[in-house]
Amino acid sequence: MSVYIYAITKAEHPLDLDDVRGVGEDGSDLHAVSSGSLSAVVSEAPADLSVARRDLEAHHEVQENLWSDGAILPLSFGFVAPDEDSVRALLDERAEAFSQRLDELSGTAEFNVKGVTDEDVLLRAILTDSGQARTLNESIRDGGGTYEDRLALGELVAQEVQNRNAALAEEVLATMRPLVVSEQVAPPSQQYFVNASFLVEDARSEEFTRAGGELAERLGEGVELRLRGPLPPYSFV
Amino acid sequence: MTVVPQGEGALASRGGGGGGSGNLYDVLELVLDRGLVIDAFARVSLVGIEILKIDARVVVASVDTYLRFAEACNRLDLESGRKAPSQLTDLVGDATESGARGKSKGALSGAVEAVSESLQKGREDRESGREKQRVRSERGASRRSSRHDDEE
Repeated sequence: MSVYIYAITKAEHPLDLDDVRGVGEDGSDLHAVSSGSLSAVVSEAPADLSVARRDLEAHHEVQENLWSDGAILPLSFGFVAPDEDSVRALLDERAEAFSQRLDELSGTAEFNVKGVTDEDVLLRAILTDSGQARTLNESIRDGGGTYEDRLALGELVAQEVQNRNAALAEEVLATMRPLVVSEQVAPPSQQYFVNASFLVEDARSEEFTRAGGELAERLGEGVELRLRGPLPPYSFV
Repeated sequence: MTVVPQGEGALASRGGGGGGSGNLYDVLELVLDRGLVIDAFARVSLVGIEILKIDARVVVASVDTYLRFAEACNRLDLESGRKAPSQLTDLVGDATESGARGKSKGALSGAVEAVSESLQKGREDRESGREKQRVRSERGASRRSSRHDDEE
């Protein structure tokens, strides 16, 4: 029977699985497969497993539940082993690396910080600050100006957007960095000017959240900071 | 400014299964893209992830991007500028106050002042909103000075 794997824990983890259901249409039963000093939390793999809300949510919820009782290595969504023996073999084969990582992660949590700028606010600020951008913008008003004018305005504004977003990202990172053990920064995207995960010691998580709130206040209107956590350490396994 | 923490008390209780459905979106990429990967085992097809990747694609400087920005600036101009002339004054008036340094002085600023003057009255109505903004730029945040008084 193929099994769906959620997480790897130390054998001494309480594995309180009573109130939580796994992936699958009716929520599958969870159980542990153990070998040596490690356990893997698994369930029967549903035939119709898919990247959809039902299963994604179940996956995440199992991990959050386990993690609230002790360190875990959360698996990425969607891994299915052919049978329980192959899970045991995996635990044996990588026992040392898994144990070491679990020790390192105990007493920590992941926090994810995403930053979004309101494009209209940003563009207004750029037009306000840059005479050149204003002039170009006026020249293309009502469909006027040349194609080159449009490109020139777009290029100028794109560069300025990038500069401002990079400065914002740096400010976020510089503020949070002193409070964290480790960080994983995703490259800037069209969606987020910053998207970073931080590994934070439990003792500092309150301080971290407070600093995030103060930072958001400081960044002001037109900037949204989304702070998510504490979470299982997805980005630090 | 918005902060969305997971919720009061979550810090003390370390999560405790707080992954409600409304919160899934922000952790989706973590669940899909991060987490432990076991190469020896099969993985469900992640075709759906491609949609996420489009959202998260890195900004590439291209003609399309430039045209889109030009379009957006022009649209802003139409929305906040021409429909309501007094708001144009705010936008451009601010530039004389705080934004128009160096180069932008010149032909433009003459026109700006003329427009500002004629619409001075409208601006006075929003004095309280503008106060806030001055405070903000005094604090040195002018590089992203906000335009909340345009939103009426």
